[in-house]
Amino acid sequence: MAARFWLRWSWRDLRERWLQVVVIALTIGLGTGTYAGLGSTSVWRRDANDASYAALHMFDLRVRLAPGAFAAAGRLADLVGRVDHAGAIESAEERLILPTGVDASGASSDALTILVPGRIVGVPVGNGLPRVGAFDVRAGHGLTGADAGEAVGLLEYHFAEHYGLPPEGAIRLSGGARLDYVGQALTPEYFLVTTERGGLMAEANFAAVFVPLETAQALSGHARQVNDLVLTLGGDADRSLVQGEIERALATEAPGLGATVETREDDQAYHVLYQDIEGDQQFWNLFAALILAGATLAAFNLTSRIVEAQRREIGIAMGLGLPGTAIAVRPLLVGAQIALLGIVFGVAVGLLIGEAMRRLLEELVPLPAWSAPFQPRVFAEGAALGFFLPFAATIYPVWRALRVAPVEAIRTGYLAARGGGLASVARRWRLPGNTFGRMPFRNVLRTPRRTLLTALGIAAAATVLVGTAGMLDSFFVTIDRGEAEVLRGAPDRLTVDLDGFAPAERAVALVREPGVVDEVEPALRVGGTLVSGGTELDVSIELLDLAGGFWRPTVTQGDATGGSGGIIVAEKAARDLGVRVGDEVTVRHPRRVGEAGFETVEDRLVVAGLHANPLRFLAFMDLGSAGLMGLAGAANVVYVTPAPGVSTDEVKRALFAQPGVASVQPVGSTARVFRDLIDDFLGILGIVQLAVVGLALLIAFNSASISADERARENATMFAFGVPVRTVLRMAVVEGLVIGLIGTVVGLGLGRIVLQWLVDVLLPGTIPDITVSIALSAETFAKAFGMGVVAVGLAPLLTARRLMRMDVPSTLRVVE
Amino acid sequence: MIELERVARHYRLGAMTVKALDGVDLRVAPGEFVVVLGPSGSGKTTLLNLIGALDTPSDGRIRVAGRELTGASRGELARFRRGTVSFIFQTFNLFPGLTALENVQFGADVTGKRRARELAAEVLEQVGLGLRMGHFPNALSGGEQQRVAIARALATRNPVLLADEPTGELDFRTGVAILELLRTQADGERTVLVVTHNREISRAADRVVELSSGRVVADGPPRAGRAPIAELHW
Ligand SMILES: Nc1ncnc2c1ncn2[C@@H]1O[C@H](COP(=O)(O)OP(=O)(O)O)[C@@H](O)[C@H]1O
Ligand SMILES: [Mg+2]
Repeated sequence: MAARFWLRWSWRDLRERWLQVVVIALTIGLGTGTYAGLGSTSVWRRDANDASYAALHMFDLRVRLAPGAFAAAGRLADLVGRVDHAGAIESAEERLILPTGVDASGASSDALTILVPGRIVGVPVGNGLPRVGAFDVRAGHGLTGADAGEAVGLLEYHFAEHYGLPPEGAIRLSGGARLDYVGQALTPEYFLVTTERGGLMAEANFAAVFVPLETAQALSGHARQVNDLVLTLGGDADRSLVQGEIERALATEAPGLGATVETREDDQAYHVLYQDIEGDQQFWNLFAALILAGATLAAFNLTSRIVEAQRREIGIAMGLGLPGTAIAVRPLLVGAQIALLGIVFGVAVGLLIGEAMRRLLEELVPLPAWSAPFQPRVFAEGAALGFFLPFAATIYPVWRALRVAPVEAIRTGYLAARGGGLASVARRWRLPGNTFGRMPFRNVLRTPRRTLLTALGIAAAATVLVGTAGMLDSFFVTIDRGEAEVLRGAPDRLTVDLDGFAPAERAVALVREPGVVDEVEPALRVGGTLVSGGTELDVSIELLDLAGGFWRPTVTQGDATGGSGGIIVAEKAARDLGVRVGDEVTVRHPRRVGEAGFETVEDRLVVAGLHANPLRFLAFMDLGSAGLMGLAGAANVVYVTPAPGVSTDEVKRALFAQPGVASVQPVGSTARVFRDLIDDFLGILGIVQLAVVGLALLIAFNSASISADERARENATMFAFGVPVRTVLRMAVVEGLVIGLIGTVVGLGLGRIVLQWLVDVLLPGTIPDITVSIALSAETFAKAFGMGVVAVGLAPLLTARRLMRMDVPSTLRVVE
Repeated sequence: MIELERVARHYRLGAMTVKALDGVDLRVAPGEFVVVLGPSGSGKTTLLNLIGALDTPSDGRIRVAGRELTGASRGELARFRRGTVSFIFQTFNLFPGLTALENVQFGADVTGKRRARELAAEVLEQVGLGLRMGHFPNALSGGEQQRVAIARALATRNPVLLADEPTGELDFRTGVAILELLRTQADGERTVLVVTHNREISRAADRVVELSSGRVVADGPPRAGRAPIAELHW
C-alpha cells in the first residue's frame, strides 16, 4: 500500500494522542538530554584541565624537602642540573614555601574576621618568572622584578573570591608582619584549594600568599634558603627516568634534606581534577541510565496502550489477510514519531542541562581556560539511544498483538470484558467498605503490567533521587561523625600550629604568654607513609599524650594508649592495608638529624589500635615515641583551651600575634571545610534531582492519562449510574497513590543499593581518604515519598477536566 | 411516569444537521413495560439517553418521575440518575475488576443502600446467578453477564429501568430469557423501557413504540400480535 496512505492514517493516530506522544517524547528527551548534557561536561572538563595546566606550565616534577629542612639557594637547581638527562629539563625554579597564618580581616569590606591557616609561597619574579606554575592574575596586577624583597604579594584567587576581598589590600601574617597584596591569582597547584588535612575546595579556610622569593626569605628569616623546586620537562622527555636520576642524586648528595620527588599525579589538586571526571562520568551514566530506563518504561506503557486500542483493527486486518509487516507499520510509525520528537526534546534538554552545568562548573572550578563547546558525539549517542528505545518499546507490543489469533482480537468486548490480571488473586482478599473503596485496589491488580510499568518508572526516578540525596546524607553523617569525634570531651579546643619544631617547654611558654589559654598540651604532627603488602598510604601522624592529655581519639579496637610505641590508625586504613590490631606495619617517616636536617627512615610498628575518625589519613602515636623521629622533647603543634571568659576569637587574635605561631583554629574547622565543599555540590545534584522530579511528573501524568483513556468506558458507565465526578476522581487518586507507593518503596530499595554501590565502589576511587558511612535522612524519605506518592497520586486530578467534559453517550456507544 | 413533549435532538455536523429525534411525544405510566422498536439509526438510543438524563434535548420538555429534566444542572442530573433511572447496556459494561456480586453491590452502593452486600446477593439470586457470585465478568457467558447487569440495575431499586438493546449481543434463546426477566420487573412501581430493532422480540410487550427517522410512527400493542414469550420462535 502507498506510503502516503499509512502516513495519513498514522497522522490521524498522532492527532488523537498528541498530548500523550508529546509527554512520552519529553520523557525520553529528559533521559537522553540528561545523558548528553551531563556527558558533555566530562569532555569540557578534561579539555579545560589540559588547556589550563598547559597555559600556566604546571610542573612535571617537584622536589620537596622535609618540613624544617632547607637548602642554600641554588643548591637544588645545581643538583638537578647535573643529572644525566638534565638536557630534558626546560625550566627549574627554586621556591621557599612555609606555613603561616593569614589575617585578611583588614582587607575585608564587610568587617569579617578572616583569620585562617595558609602558606607563604616565595617564587622568582620578574622577566616572565615564575614560568613553572605561572600566575593567571584575575584581579589587580602581577609581581615584577622590582617587588623582590618588598612586602608585596598576590592572594590566591579562590580565597580572595570566597571572602569577596578587593583586588588590592593589606593582610597580616602570623607574627604580625604586614603584607600588601597587589592582585589575586590562579596558579595550577591551587586550581583546587586542598589542605594537608584532606580538605578539598578549602578556600574558606586556607589562604596561599604568593610573594617574591627574596620576600619570603626575609619574612621567615631564612635568608638565601629554599625548600622546594619545580621543573618542567621537554614534551618527549622520559619523566620517570629523570625522576629516578634526581631521586638518586638527592639521596647521595643531600641525604639530610629528607627530599622527595613528586610528579603531577602526586599533586592533590591535579589528581582530584582528573580523577573526579572519571568518577562523575560513572555517576552521570548511572543516573542517566536510570532516567532513561524510567522513560523507556513510560514509552512502553503508551505504545502498549496504543497497540491494545488498535487490536480489533489489527484483528480485522489479519482477518482480511494483510501480512503482519503491513499491519505493524501503523503502530511502528507512532514509535518513530515519538522517537523523532524525543530526539528534538533530548537535544533541547541536553543543551539546557549542559548550560546549567557549565555555569556551575565555571563558578565552582574557575580555570584560566574554560570553554564548553557543543559535543556532537555525546549528543549523537544520546540521540541514537533516544531513537532506539521508544522504537524498541513499540516492537514488543506489536509483535505480541500479531501473535493473537484474529478471532480473539475481533471478539467484541475482548478487552472490555477482560477481567484477568491478578484480580482473581484479590478475590479472597476482602477489603472492607463498599465497591468504591474496593475498585481502585482491584484496578491496580487487574492491569498488573501497566501498574508495574508505571511503578517501575517511578521507582527509577525515586532511585536516582534516593541515590543523590542519600549520598549527601551519607556525607553529612560522616562529617558529623568526624566532628563529634574531634569535639568529644573538649569541644572548645584550638589547634595552634607552629611554623617549625620548637622545644616543648618553649612552645608551651609561647602560647601561655598572652594569658588567654587555660589548658595547654604540646604535640607533634609529621607526615608519613604506612606500607604493608605493596599498599602505601600517606598519613598525618599525630603524636600526643595518649595517657593523660585532654583529648585522645576514640579507639574502637585495641589499646587507647597506643601500647608501647605502637600506632593507632583509621579503621579504613587498616582495611586498605590488610592489617589488624597486633599486626606490624612499616611506617616511613622523617627523622631529624642535627638541628635542621631530616632523613626519611622506615620503622616496623605494631598497629596498637583503630580509631573512629572517618578520615583515613589520620594516625596517632604516643608522644613518648617522639624519639623515633628524633623529635623527643619537641613540638610543632600545641592544643589549648581558652581561659575562662576568653572567646575563641580573642585566643586566635592573641596567639596569632606571637612569633613562631603559624595558625590558630578551632578543632572543628575541618568539618566546616568539608561542609562547604558539599554545599558547592548541592547545585549539581540539584540539577539531576530537578530532571528526576520532571521525569516522575511526566510518568505520573502519562499514566493517569492512559488510565483515563483505558477506563473511559467504565467511567462513562459510572456516570450513567449517577456517580459524581469527584467520586470517580477519588478512586483514580487512590489507585495512583497505591501505584506511587509501590514505585517509591521499590525505588527506596533500589536507591539504597545504588547508594551502597556509590559508597563501596565509586567513592573509594575519588575520595579514598574518607570512610563514608551510608545514611538516609528522614528528609530524603520525605522527598522520595513526596515525589513518588504525591505526584502519581495527584496526577489523576489533571484529568478532571476531561472527565467533566466527557460525552457519556458517545463513550458508551464506542465499541473498543 | 415518563412524559416527553415535542422532544427534538439535533446533531450539527459541519453544514449538515442530523435530526436524531424530531418532535417526539410520549407518555409512559408507572409499572408499564414498553418496547421501543425501530431500525438502526432511527433514534432509539438517543431517546433512551434523553430519558436517562445522559443527554439534553435540543428542544421540547422531558419529565420523569415528576421531575423536570429540562434546564436542570449537571449535578442535579447526576442526582436524578442516581435516584431514578438505571441503565442496562447492549455491551453489558460490567466493571471487569469487580466480581459478579460486587458489580451488583455497586448498584446498591451508588444509591447509598445499607446492607448493600446482602441486598446484592439477594438480587443476584433472583436473576438466577446465586452460584456465580464470586466470578469475574470474563468468566461469565454473555447471557450471564447481562443478568448481572440487570441485577446491578435492580439493586439500585430505582423506579425506571432503561435497557438499550439488551439482547443485541445474545443468541435468540438467551435474548428471550433476558426479555422475560426484564418483563417480570415491570410491575407495581417499576417502569421498564426496552429498546430493540428486533420485531419478533417486540411481540413480548403489551405496548410497542415504533420509531423511524426520529419520529414515532406507531404506538400500541405489537403489530404482529402479542405473543407469550415462550411461544416466540423463529
Ligand atoms: N454524537 C453524534 N453525533 C452525530 N450524530 C449522531 C450522534 N449520535 C447519534 N447520531 C445520529 O443520530 C441518529 C440516531 O442515532 P441512535 O439514536 O444511536 O440510533 P439507534 O439507536 O436507533 O440506532 C443516527 O443517524 C446517528 O448517526
Ligand atoms: Mg442504538
